[in-house]
Amino acid sequence: MDFDLHYLLAQWPALLGGVLMTLRVSLLGIVLSLVIGILGGAVRVAAIPVLSQVVALYVELIRNTPILVQLFFIFYGLPAIGLELSLFWSGVLCLSLWAGAYQVENVRGGLGTVSHGMREAAVALSLRPLQYYSLVALPIAFRTSLPAMLNTAISLLKNSSYLQAIGLAELTFVAVDRIATDFRAIEMFSAICVLYLVLVALLSLATGRLSAHLQRPFRQ
Amino acid sequence: MEFMIDNWAFVAKGLGMTVRLALVILLFTTLVSAVFGVLATLPSRGLRLVIHAYVELFRSIPLIVNVFFIFFGAPMLGIDLTPFAAVTTGLTLWGSANGIEIVRGGLESVARHQWASAWALGLRPWQVYLHVIGPQSMRAILPAYTGLLTMLVQATSLGALVGVSEFLKVGQVIIERSAVMTGASPAFSVYGTVLLVYFVLCSSLSWLSRYLERRLGRPAMRAKGV
Repeated sequence: MDFDLHYLLAQWPALLGGVLMTLRVSLLGIVLSLVIGILGGAVRVAAIPVLSQVVALYVELIRNTPILVQLFFIFYGLPAIGLELSLFWSGVLCLSLWAGAYQVENVRGGLGTVSHGMREAAVALSLRPLQYYSLVALPIAFRTSLPAMLNTAISLLKNSSYLQAIGLAELTFVAVDRIATDFRAIEMFSAICVLYLVLVALLSLATGRLSAHLQRPFRQ
Repeated sequence: MEFMIDNWAFVAKGLGMTVRLALVILLFTTLVSAVFGVLATLPSRGLRLVIHAYVELFRSIPLIVNVFFIFFGAPMLGIDLTPFAAVTTGLTLWGSANGIEIVRGGLESVARHQWASAWALGLRPWQVYLHVIGPQSMRAILPAYTGLLTMLVQATSLGALVGVSEFLKVGQVIIERSAVMTGASPAFSVYGTVLLVYFVLCSSLSWLSRYLERRLGRPAMRAKGV
């Protein structure tokens, strides 16, 4: 079996379309999962009764079930009880809910490292709890948990490949779709492996820049 | 829910297949991880580099791409794989990449002086690993490894995409069947039940992992009776 590079070059537009779709769902998913993480993490740390337990249950539920089953539940299960979402938004919802659970734990871990003195200082300055979270605790926690958040974001990007199973035309779907007609599995999968590696590297690079930017006040 | 109960024999078969997949993958993953995890702690730089490259590669590509690569790619190379074998191979490659890191990290977490003392006593390398470092590394390895097992059980659901009749696939078949027979899709209740069963299975494993971490984590404290 020879490796046909010309075939891959001819398939370039289809692959690019797949990359763009993967990027779209992943970036939306990353943003929404961070929102879930920040809200859920604050609820957990502030130990708001009932709400805190609900968030804990959500985190456990997501972490202890396969993402594929979550996806099928959202895409096929929810419409059965009248909650219809488009293909794209089902995918975004699934990825956000999945990664959100991990981001809650990341944010919680980060908030746990904020020293008690900060809280006392905020009280002394008569900041309200909401101001304390948004102006003091979260910015500090964000620096600490950025590496963990990046890991979750990378996992989300990789897991966007599961959306192939419901037929969203992202990178893996494009590859499998082409293979069904052209039988060039080795070429296609090698190509998308490289593309996924590049996407992950780009995400790491961007976060590295962000991290360096956030570390400015502490640089000598 | 009643669909799952009506088809209990079929459901049990699917669950059995999920457990079988997980156990077979666990066995191969453990073998590969043990061997290469130990090799990764040896002084050879080339060896470490090769193992590191393997670990990074399989942890960076999406799991589903890994399984599809084997499932669709192997026939093109003239290798005929059953869906079961394809899933087992794909998940073993991925599981080992994680397992090797756990074993290597566990071995390296054992205090330097333990290595030095073992060598000073004139133990052979295999004796150092088997009698001194190995048992002590279990403290770090076992909780993390149980966590890996949880991920493996979840990952077996990929079998449904390549045609292994495991638990998720059984759920899909039940939904299709009753949709044809009754005209209404029981997707919500069936997938809900599937979620719940996975949750019970995996959260008990997660609980075991946390228990092991507590139990093994602080030997000094335990000796003091705390």
